[in-house]
Amino acid sequence: MELSDANLQTLTEYLKKTLDPDPAIRRPAEKFLESVEGSQNYPLLLLTLLEKSQENVIKVCASVTFKNYIKRNWRIVEDEPNKICESDRIAIKANIVPLMLSSPEQIQKQLSDAISIIGREDFPQKWPDLLTEMVNRFQSGDFHVINGVLRTAHSLFKRYRHEFKSNELWTEIKLVLDAFALPLTNLFKATIELCSTHANDASALKVLFSSLILIAKLFYSLNFQDLPEFFEDNMETWMTNFHSLLTLDNKLLQTDDEEEAGLLELLKSQICDNAALYAQKYDEEFQPYLPRFVTAIWNLLVTTGQEVKYDLLVSNAIQFLASVCERPHYKHLFEDQNTLTSICEKVIVPNMEFRAADEEAFEDNSEEYIRRDLEGSDIDTRRRAACDLVRGLCKFFEGPVTGIFSGYVNSMLQEYAKNPSVNWKHKDAAIYLVTSLASKAQTQKHGITQANELVNLTEFFVNHIQPDLKSASVNEFPVLKADGIKYIMIFRNQVPKEQLLISIPLLINHLQAESIVVHTYAAHALERLFTMRGTNNTTLITAAEMAPFVEVLLTNLFKALTLPGSAENEYIMKAIMRSFSLLQESIIPYIPSVITQLTQKLLAVSKNPSKPHFNHYMFESICLSIRITCKANPDAVGSFEEALFMVFTEILQNDVQEFIPYVFQVMSLLLEMHKNEIPSSYMALFPHLLQPVLWERTGNIPPLVRLLQAYLERGANTIASAAADKIPGLLGVFQKLIASKANDHQGFYLLNSIIEHMPPESVDQYRKQIFILLFQRLQNSKTTKFIKSFLVFINLYCIKYGALALQEIFDSIQPKMFGMVLEKIIIPEIQKVSGQVEKKICAVGITKILTECPPMMDTEYTKLWTPLLQALIGLFELPEDDTIPDEEHFIDIEDTPGYQTAFSQLAFAGKKEHDPVGQMVNNPRIHLAQSLHKLSTACPGRVPSMLSTSLNAEALQYLQGYLQAASVTLL
Amino acid sequence: MPVVNKHSERMRKFKNKGKDTAALRKQRVEVTIELRKAKKDEQILKRRSISFSLMDKSLSPGEDKRNETVQLSLEKIAEAVNGSNTELQLQATQATRRILSRQKDPPINQIIELGIIPRLVEFLTRADNAPLQFEAAWALTNIASGTSDHTKAVVEAGAIPAFISLLSSPHMHISEQSVWALGNIAGDGPLYRDALISCSAIPPLLALVSPVTPVGFLRNITWTLSNLCRNKNPYPPLNAMKKMLPVLICLMKHEDKDIISDSCWAVSYLTDGSNDRIQIVVDTGILPRLVELMASPELIIMTPALRAIGNVVTGTDEQTQAAINAGVLAVLPCLLRHAKPSIQKEAAWTLSNIAAGPAQQIQQLISCGLLPPLVELLDKGDFKAQKEAVWAVANFMTGGTEEQVVELVRSGVLKPLLNLLLAKDSKTVLIILDTISNLFLTADKLGETERLCLLVEELDGLEKIEALQTHDNNMVYRAALNIIEKYFSGEENPDLQPETGEDGLYDFSVEKQDFNF
Repeated sequence: MELSDANLQTLTEYLKKTLDPDPAIRRPAEKFLESVEGSQNYPLLLLTLLEKSQENVIKVCASVTFKNYIKRNWRIVEDEPNKICESDRIAIKANIVPLMLSSPEQIQKQLSDAISIIGREDFPQKWPDLLTEMVNRFQSGDFHVINGVLRTAHSLFKRYRHEFKSNELWTEIKLVLDAFALPLTNLFKATIELCSTHANDASALKVLFSSLILIAKLFYSLNFQDLPEFFEDNMETWMTNFHSLLTLDNKLLQTDDEEEAGLLELLKSQICDNAALYAQKYDEEFQPYLPRFVTAIWNLLVTTGQEVKYDLLVSNAIQFLASVCERPHYKHLFEDQNTLTSICEKVIVPNMEFRAADEEAFEDNSEEYIRRDLEGSDIDTRRRAACDLVRGLCKFFEGPVTGIFSGYVNSMLQEYAKNPSVNWKHKDAAIYLVTSLASKAQTQKHGITQANELVNLTEFFVNHIQPDLKSASVNEFPVLKADGIKYIMIFRNQVPKEQLLISIPLLINHLQAESIVVHTYAAHALERLFTMRGTNNTTLITAAEMAPFVEVLLTNLFKALTLPGSAENEYIMKAIMRSFSLLQESIIPYIPSVITQLTQKLLAVSKNPSKPHFNHYMFESICLSIRITCKANPDAVGSFEEALFMVFTEILQNDVQEFIPYVFQVMSLLLEMHKNEIPSSYMALFPHLLQPVLWERTGNIPPLVRLLQAYLERGANTIASAAADKIPGLLGVFQKLIASKANDHQGFYLLNSIIEHMPPESVDQYRKQIFILLFQRLQNSKTTKFIKSFLVFINLYCIKYGALALQEIFDSIQPKMFGMVLEKIIIPEIQKVSGQVEKKICAVGITKILTECPPMMDTEYTKLWTPLLQALIGLFELPEDDTIPDEEHFIDIEDTPGYQTAFSQLAFAGKKEHDPVGQMVNNPRIHLAQSLHKLSTACPGRVPSMLSTSLNAEALQYLQGYLQAASVTLL
Repeated sequence: MPVVNKHSERMRKFKNKGKDTAALRKQRVEVTIELRKAKKDEQILKRRSISFSLMDKSLSPGEDKRNETVQLSLEKIAEAVNGSNTELQLQATQATRRILSRQKDPPINQIIELGIIPRLVEFLTRADNAPLQFEAAWALTNIASGTSDHTKAVVEAGAIPAFISLLSSPHMHISEQSVWALGNIAGDGPLYRDALISCSAIPPLLALVSPVTPVGFLRNITWTLSNLCRNKNPYPPLNAMKKMLPVLICLMKHEDKDIISDSCWAVSYLTDGSNDRIQIVVDTGILPRLVELMASPELIIMTPALRAIGNVVTGTDEQTQAAINAGVLAVLPCLLRHAKPSIQKEAAWTLSNIAAGPAQQIQQLISCGLLPPLVELLDKGDFKAQKEAVWAVANFMTGGTEEQVVELVRSGVLKPLLNLLLAKDSKTVLIILDTISNLFLTADKLGETERLCLLVEELDGLEKIEALQTHDNNMVYRAALNIIEKYFSGEENPDLQPETGEDGLYDFSVEKQDFNF
């Protein structure tokens, strides 16, 4: 493309079209631009347009297009063609800086980004004059230009903050320091001077402060990796100025906006970060300055308001103090009683207060409030920072700090008592203070695990928390109710059990509160209490202790789901699940009503499933209802089927993908509850379960396999007689699964069930094909996982059909096949089999091959007899071989086709471990001894001679142990 | 070895844990790129002789003025030096020496530009005129004490052989001045160091050491010897090293603290290299003395002794064992708690290399009570020392047995280790994350995963690891993500599991381990 007016015109038109809302116009234009971007001069045309176009919108569009073009093409990837020709590269680098600096802000930002992308690749080697070019502009006196340079420098240098130290990186930094540190320092000083000359000029100040913020950020980047010599020598200049900026205020810079941080706040925040960096990394050199910063930052905190815009500044500032006060050599800065009191009073307490913004979130955005408050995603909040400071101060001053705060807590409680409806926030702060003072360590699972011994938690609980929860109205002072419930929740391991028992009915009562936060907390607290462990690993709170409350608990929990805003409240649903699990058979009388409500809920949410946790707990609750009821009364399974099948059918018909894996699991559970032949309702569904469309979704595979296994377990005969025509379809599923490296183990689960349960004659005609299929996989793409499953399967087959049948079918597929599998697969790989049951199956199967397979004694296979025995003894005695060849590590990732609804396994739908060998063989070692004995009786002399010729000594010793244990000798 | 190699090398070993513990050892790093100011506790490379009041009585209040006047007549100096009048030569040389000896900003460049250096070197050979020899030697010493270019000017004028022959001068003060000058030349770098060695500077230098050598002289000799041991790329020749060592060992047993200090520095340079060099030092049997000196209250002795021992334990397991046998583990706790950050750091570095050894050495480390000071340092030490302490923990967790790792955790290492996840240093953060992953592997084996999860959460580690998932450094963020996904995601499942035990009904597991979703 030439740099011609015609081309500029064409490009302008296409750029314009890329802004068109109509995709029919937009897409072809985008396609066109992509198609020409490889041409020489294309980027230069864009640069010309963004500079000279008449239309502003084209300028901006060209600048964005240019930046994206640079992003996609600038990097030269090894073995790939260079996508931008060298002359264009040179021209771009020669022009972009002045162009960026002379552009209006909107375009400047794009070009600045482009410079940093180019810089990442080319700077410093291939762009040696960039720094000088930038530094020269510092003298321009034009702060629009200077800020452009600073912004670009910031985007070039900020990676110093996270990259690993390396010679290459440090060479670059050194180069930057040599060229940049002094001019930056001079600019810093000059800018500060200008700030005082322009102290009354608001618009000038804004520009100057923007520069100062960028300078402070650059300082952070340049000082991050190590303390540069230059900055050590000039620490006085920087720190003195930083210090005075921290204490500076100017009305002209104050903003009216309550939410958005202003320039002053941003600058001070960055200075706090800079001071924290020096305090952490360069303590030795920074020590002389640190006390001044402590004082300045603390004064800053005392004078900063409650508005949201100060949040970042305040939390940064408090975190700075928190990190310093823990250091032994700065202890003296804090230890004075007056200092401590002042910090507690003026820094900590005010930042623990419940603010208007918190109140708003509590009422209108409760989900977010709960997430922050309960799940601890509050790292940057003021309250959190204040808490950290309390904990930091407690490291050295636990006694005095506790003393100071106790006084505060009392006075705040008194304030509250005087006029609760006005002063309730004082009590909130008091509770928060007690909580942060008392908690030393905390986990989600157990609440507080280490508490400050100076705080009497139970006393506070009885005197100040319980009264709120006992009050007649559950809706009065919702924040205090939430505080109280949270107190129970987090101190549940500190408060004695009798107090918890007293609290349970109170919590149940608060499930009715209108406030979402309050009833959610009540549900969550109950759920947590129900998971606490007592002695003997049982639950702390027993079903018997809960007996008086069962009805009201269940009623209130389900009622809470009808409160506005909580229709799909996961905390409530989890509490329902946990209550069922704790109460067990005492819920049976309420099951009819419960299952109706759950079914209705299920029906309702299946229209548009949006809360995965809620849904999960709902299905868990359904499973629990089924298990608990059917355990007492197996016949009840019919009524569950009656209640659920209608909804399930609807879910299946409407293809509600999120729920289908759950439905299959519940159905498996129900089917397994049946003691007799499989009901016809299930058989009607059977053909549908074999539909390929279901098997295409990864998330369906595990539960569907599980369900088919349940079908085979309960209804193999029915399938053989009434649905024999579906057997190929069933095996087709097996074939589909076995073809995938990710799902082959599922295929084996299915195959094992088929072999174990189906009448042999019904699968006779397919057996050979099954093996051929497996051998093909073995030949073409074997993996460790496949081999493990394969070994279990052939041994199961051997147990079921006999060793001779196994040998015959192998050798009928290909002569000497049996020997080859023994030699190449079973003997070398058997050590890899894992799992109790799997190992037992293999042991019994191999024992059969050794002792019940005549060809092993009188054909060329005989030479494999002792190695096989040795491998079996190895399986018994050696540690499992869990090595996996390197190339197999990524199989699962590669073979999982894209993202699909993940399979969510229901814990309460779990099935028992199935042992197909079962009681037939209790101890496989004894079984081996007995089987060998039997064999040796049949052909006296041969077994001992085979053992003595080639079994190694260690194995022989083990074997003798088995023989002794079985009290047999070999003849 | 450049920094980057050191780290990637270490990380690689880290991943293949336990396979090659010897390689976990970190050699001392000669940083090719340094952002910091030169370290204050390093030994001085070159020294200028400023006051020498015994020989020069002119340091009276009027001295400065007199210098001024001399300085004005630089041309006169040149003239006199180049002239043939011996008396004037001496005066001019003395004047030159005075200018170069003044406290501030000696005009070395100007003197060099005068072009009188070859002449001064020539004066060194005037065996008939001892005062002239001495003044010239002094002046040249001070010129050589400057930058590399300054030293170069002296060397290129042929000063090396001249000074070497002056070592055997019958006048002690001349021979001493020559020792000094040679020290400055050797201190310039490996090139001139080896030039001296190949001109056979060592034998006459060593010959000067005798029971009657005055302490001041001995100090100079020791310092010059240390410069002859100093610098890498290349290291000093092995035979030179073997020649100097016996004398250095003797000097290390002297009672003068400067002599001890400089001989320790010399040994610290000699041990800062490959294992065969370390072995030569170990074979002299000097380690017990070095360990004894490590405990010296004198910083100038403790610093180089600690460095030397620190270097020794970068060597083989046997060499490390020799240091342990010499008692290093008894001295380290004190040094780990030393008030000076650089000592803390050096001691922690030493410890980290011992922790990289086999399990029985780790065991000795435990039984000598090193865990409490390590944990303390990790908690409250200077940042540079904390970084080394993190390495020590990382190595310990990699090479230690399960019991030893449990012991380390019991000693309270987790809290400060997790706190350092806030460190403003990506590498340190990554090492900690890797260490935590390793710890989880051990916990898995011991069936203590759940307890470790709770412990990490209790100590506020979980939220820190969670926050690191947004770290800008890819490796850090992936390591954090990995831990979260592996041990802390799906809070529900471990939660649900425990309640199953009651009636066996919920006893479920077979599918679980095989589903890999």
